[in-house]
Amino acid sequence: MLLELNDVSLSLKRDGKYVKILDEISLQVNKGETVGIVGESGCGKSMTALSVMRLLPEKAKLEGVINLDHEDVTSYSKRKMEKIRGNKMAMIFQDPLTSLNPLHTVGRQIEETLILHTDLNKEQRKQRVIELLNEVGLPRAEEIASEYPHQLSGGMRQRIMIAVAMACNPSLLICDEPTTALDVTVQAQILDLMNHLKEVNEMGIIMITHDLGVVAEVCDRVVVMYAGKIVEQANVKELFLNPKHPYTKGLLESIPKLGVKKAKLGSIPGMVPSPDKMPQGCRFFDRCSSAMEICKGKTPPMSSVGEDHTAACWLYEEKGGEMNGSSGSEGLEATLHN
Amino acid sequence: MALLEVKDLKQHFTIKKGFLGEKKKVKAVDGVSFHIEQGETLGIVGESGCGKSSLGRTILKLIKPTSGDIFFGGKNITHLPRKEMKELRKDMQIVFQDPYASLNPRSTVRTILETPLIVHGAGNRQERMKVVEGLIDKIGIRKDQLDRYPHEFSGGQRQRIGIARALTLNPKLIIADEPVSALDVSVQSQVLNLMVDLQKEFNLSYMFISHDLSVVQHISDRVAVMYLGKIVEIADVDELYRNPLHPYTKALLTAVPLPDPTKKRDRIILQGDLPSPINPPTGCAFHTRCPAATPECKMETPELREKAMGHWASCIHVHPEQSTKTKIHIS
Amino acid sequence: MDALRYTVKRIFLMIPILIGISILTFFISNTIPGDPARLAAGPYADAKVIEELQEKMGLNDPVYVQYANYMKNLLQGDLGNSNYSHQPVMEDIKQYFPATLELTFFSMFITILIGIPLGVISASKKDKAADQFARVMALVGVAMPAFWLGIIFLLFFYLKLGVLPGSGRLDTGLTPPETITGMYTIDAILTGNWTVFKSAVIHLILPGITQAAVTIGMITRMTRSSMLEVLRSDYIRTAFAKGGSEKRVLYGHALRNGMMPIMTLLGMTFGHSLGGSVLVESVFSWPGLGKYAVNAITYLDFPAVMAVTILIAVLFILVNLIIDILYQVVDPRLNYD
Repeated sequence: MLLELNDVSLSLKRDGKYVKILDEISLQVNKGETVGIVGESGCGKSMTALSVMRLLPEKAKLEGVINLDHEDVTSYSKRKMEKIRGNKMAMIFQDPLTSLNPLHTVGRQIEETLILHTDLNKEQRKQRVIELLNEVGLPRAEEIASEYPHQLSGGMRQRIMIAVAMACNPSLLICDEPTTALDVTVQAQILDLMNHLKEVNEMGIIMITHDLGVVAEVCDRVVVMYAGKIVEQANVKELFLNPKHPYTKGLLESIPKLGVKKAKLGSIPGMVPSPDKMPQGCRFFDRCSSAMEICKGKTPPMSSVGEDHTAACWLYEEKGGEMNGSSGSEGLEATLHN
Repeated sequence: MALLEVKDLKQHFTIKKGFLGEKKKVKAVDGVSFHIEQGETLGIVGESGCGKSSLGRTILKLIKPTSGDIFFGGKNITHLPRKEMKELRKDMQIVFQDPYASLNPRSTVRTILETPLIVHGAGNRQERMKVVEGLIDKIGIRKDQLDRYPHEFSGGQRQRIGIARALTLNPKLIIADEPVSALDVSVQSQVLNLMVDLQKEFNLSYMFISHDLSVVQHISDRVAVMYLGKIVEIADVDELYRNPLHPYTKALLTAVPLPDPTKKRDRIILQGDLPSPINPPTGCAFHTRCPAATPECKMETPELREKAMGHWASCIHVHPEQSTKTKIHIS
Repeated sequence: MDALRYTVKRIFLMIPILIGISILTFFISNTIPGDPARLAAGPYADAKVIEELQEKMGLNDPVYVQYANYMKNLLQGDLGNSNYSHQPVMEDIKQYFPATLELTFFSMFITILIGIPLGVISASKKDKAADQFARVMALVGVAMPAFWLGIIFLLFFYLKLGVLPGSGRLDTGLTPPETITGMYTIDAILTGNWTVFKSAVIHLILPGITQAAVTIGMITRMTRSSMLEVLRSDYIRTAFAKGGSEKRVLYGHALRNGMMPIMTLLGMTFGHSLGGSVLVESVFSWPGLGKYAVNAITYLDFPAVMAVTILIAVLFILVNLIIDILYQVVDPRLNYD
């Protein structure tokens, strides 16, 4: 296993008090696997990624275990963390224009990763930059290396970001909405490139997105998040064909699908609760069409609802209890903690 | 007679860089013609910089067209004086992408919704309130929320308020510019459903501008695809999505990732990015990225021609008799 | 090439601005009540002498003729004679301006050396002790009037401790170095006169720091807020995601991006100081442009007032031009058009 998150919780200081943003997130990423994290804005998917990278604001309280190659990185010193960032794990962000330094040439920005983590000399670094630019599908690499971000198009800029991330052959690549800011034809190019790089480099990828189309296209496994908690996990086919959690079902029904014209879209009433006013029990309770009495007071535990498929919903708890006794009691403990 | 008819509309901007910089021309909208019937939704789809937003604004005459004609209800409104235009604006309204930026943060919802009525001198206060209260009931906002400010509502609610504001004067046409792009999917569907309901109730016409092909398919009766200021294809929604003729439309449709892991398609991946509208390519503007381009495409500017019944495309390589053979399946 | 074309273009643009300023100043100073001829002649001159003087000074000509004459002379480098010092204004300026220039350079040097690092530290340690300290210092610097600070310095370092001189540009008894630039420190270096150099530097310390105190405060605050803004940017997060250390990110990525507003403020304060800081120059009896301008105004010395005004305008425009060119050096997104 490449990456393992165990009961990771995160609190951030907002207006003087700590607010829990992530609540006991557990997930795994294997080598060569792409795990999608989906959810709507504010569900904590980006914060999960930033927790792994430890790129959190000051005064963030991070609890739980984050194992990278079986080593807990939450205990790493600042220095040690700097050594693996950009090296063993790298990250790509949503908006490539604002994510690149406008005053440095793109070549220099790719080279910086090499300066930080390798012993290559200047000539070798220059060579590697050209190599990387070619790998991410940018022709006339020498010219592009000496250009500035504003001189490139959106798609090219995201390719540069990918080159920056790939410079030291990371074993874990985290992509935070990497194609959201791009046009659809350019998005297709970038997804294509990422699929190609994944095959070549055997990386583990975390793909954070709100776009279920992107998930279906590139992910092997999917984690659905809602209001700071994981509500469902499954392999991609299972999730799309056989969604269990009412939230996942609601999401899938509310997207218009190309080639299928429906009179009316499904929708989820109400809105996401804010982190400082999290309801007791299941956080989806007041928007859920199958809510029961128990959902109101008790947090549903993660239970197994199929092969490699878990969901946190009281609808499946009985079945889950039979199949996996321990998860039920864990859930109760979690309830007590809250 | 069509409610809105646009003929050869052009919107050219001159941009001047710096104090003494040289002038450059951007052809944001470059000879666009189409019509919208009463009660119909025309989707305008295209990538960033294709001119779809400029088109909406030009039709509302928020910016003055460079040339061409706009007919609304059979009347040429292209050169209408300001006063008459104001009167006409009652009938054509706009809904913007960012509901937060387009609602005055210092006004209550009541004021926001009442203002258009006051501006157009409609009724007394009591009558106006009746209209406002009737509207918010339709968009799912309670009467006791009327005196709240925009920031007290969620993104979806704000967009519904934006739609309600557009409806206060009983318009015939609403130009919606990426109305759901800033919203999360579950909220997006709420707003789309609302728009469909309102259309039925008030017999509204929509010009629905979006980059999202799935959303456009869902809401439109007919769809126009734009590329670099021109419409490259226009047809009934089912026809367009089932049987796209223009190579750009084909590429667009196959590029959309489908939320279904069991379906694998042959994707047409275009090379390169959208060229700059400042110096668009000669001939067919798409030839630089087109997989089917031939040397003629560089020379000859294709015209939008009817290739099948009600199905128009601008590509010299699509011939009317061919159009049925090139079906691709996206579902 | 682009840079050169841009510069030439900008210099040409200066011409209409300068004509405008000269017209404005000329006419305003002419409508101010007060008779320069009477002032020049002295309190005991009789009416006839004053009349003759008025004729000689061209004060009886229509205003536009006076202006045309003035501009004609200006283009030949003749700024007229001072009614007060009775020597060509050009000579006066050659004497007073280098003193101000020297003081300005010195105080700007201190400002940059202290203000920018203080602001960077302040921003990177936001809300911590170092930040609080820097913010208080900046506030004190901005809030204290220069003349008051100057007097305190004088009392302490000059009168009480006697370690630093309190007035003038050189120790009495020393002859100024041969005039090359007019700035004593530089001329002393050029002529290798180290005694004079030392004395000139020592004389710069108190007025220099007094003048810098205010600007250090402003620059620190500007640097802090500009850096805070930049530190929130996505590319700063990217730099950290690459594994960059805090120092590397701060000085390698953030500072240059935060330079624009700092440069603007530096340019403005620089231009402002070049006009002569009246208060500082008065407190330290610094024979600079500020003092000269005050004298000229007091004695309705129109040629001198005009000359100083036009000089300050030219300097301001030049400083602006230099800052604009520096922008383009710092930010590749700004092309020369």
